[in-house]
Amino acid sequence: MKILKDLMYTKTHEWIKMTGDKKAKIGLTDFAQDSLGSLVFVNLPEVGDEVSKDDSFGDVESVKAVSDVFSPVNGKVSAINEELLDSPEKINESAYDAWLIEVEDIEENKDLLTPEQYEKVCNEEA
Amino acid sequence: MIRSLKYIISKNTVPYYNLALEEYLLFSTEPDEMVFYLWQNKNTVVIGRNQNPYRECKISDIKKDGSHIVRRLSGGGAVYHDSGNLNFTFLVRHENNDVNKQLSVILKALQLLGINAQASGRNDITVDGKKFSGNAFYRSKDYCYHHGTLLIDVDIENLSKYLNVSASKLKSKGVSSVKSRVANLKDYKKDLTIETVKDALLSAVSEVYDLAPQRILDEELDKNKIRELENKFSSNYFIYPNKFNYQIEMQERFPWGEIQLLFNLKDNIIESVRAYSDALDEQFILYIPEVMKDCLFSETSLIDAIDKIPLKNELSHQIATDIKELIIKNLNES
Repeated sequence: MKILKDLMYTKTHEWIKMTGDKKAKIGLTDFAQDSLGSLVFVNLPEVGDEVSKDDSFGDVESVKAVSDVFSPVNGKVSAINEELLDSPEKINESAYDAWLIEVEDIEENKDLLTPEQYEKVCNEEA
Repeated sequence: MIRSLKYIISKNTVPYYNLALEEYLLFSTEPDEMVFYLWQNKNTVVIGRNQNPYRECKISDIKKDGSHIVRRLSGGGAVYHDSGNLNFTFLVRHENNDVNKQLSVILKALQLLGINAQASGRNDITVDGKKFSGNAFYRSKDYCYHHGTLLIDVDIENLSKYLNVSASKLKSKGVSSVKSRVANLKDYKKDLTIETVKDALLSAVSEVYDLAPQRILDEELDKNKIRELENKFSSNYFIYPNKFNYQIEMQERFPWGEIQLLFNLKDNIIESVRAYSDALDEQFILYIPEVMKDCLFSETSLIDAIDKIPLKNELSHQIATDIKELIIKNLNES
């Protein structure tokens, strides 16, 4: 299980990487992709959609199983990773490169987990 | 650890209500509890969370017959439910989700009824290699459900009547359905009824978890909340989301050239069509979007639309015939 040191995390297994002032990319963690298994579909919001902290903004589907994906922050979708729509397996191959959405106008980003805190969450669930 | 086992049997056969109740129960599940839910839908095509209804089912036939179409929260393919089908759902918190144990409840219930069934992977339960139960899963935060169908006494002929099972010609984004060899449980035990299967399931779940199941009473349910969810499940935006617009495609190469039709549908009505072709009869191709606008997306209405295009020579006759065949082929591949 890979946990990168330069990212922040959520209890629901998303990672968030600040890419600018009030701007961040969000993806699913390596732990998440591993427990979900081979992904067959990714359901993403549209550019311009609002996302709210702890609310679902999309979902991923592995064989017969759907899991909701949650936003770690409040903000607005400024880009989606369209490549994943045709190749969801990229998340399995490299979870930390396969970002799902980019969010701008982030209001605040408190309550995020550090890599150490997130590792604990994973160990408890494993 | 599951310390409390509850159950509920829906008296309603309206699919939107039953899926609303399922979602409501999911987010009401307590940390150390399992809710076991049994339900039946009348004449309903249930599609997977990420399926394109235009591609998966014959929407106009469903509407014509007064049958229903509903989208579930879990993954996988389209299935047809009627009153010979019983659905079960195990609702738990993630830490208590144990798919194998849950599947063993179904196997145990069948054993009690004298049927020897096997779990086939994570998703199917079979008897003699034939599938009678398909299973699917949904997780949101800590809340999980595992649900499945049980074919008890369904009209097997009807199972695929509304489904475009092998409609590979209708290319679009989304998850595809797969056709399986299926069987009714009644074929293995003649006196089986929905009621005896329900009783066996309740005995089995109690035995496997070693807990006495407590019935959830009607008055414990938040009716307003369920109604709100029912509105979601029955809404067009949930069943036919816009993202599937322009994702129905028909394409073919003919002696006169290649044609590609892209349909933008809303609630099974054609909002617009884009037609691309290298045919010499440009005018014919230009007519297509015009005549198809606002038509129902069905074989007859598309063919009627093509028949409205003036045919000025041999070539346009041939193009019309070929396009009509393309439509028939695409809407009937099952």
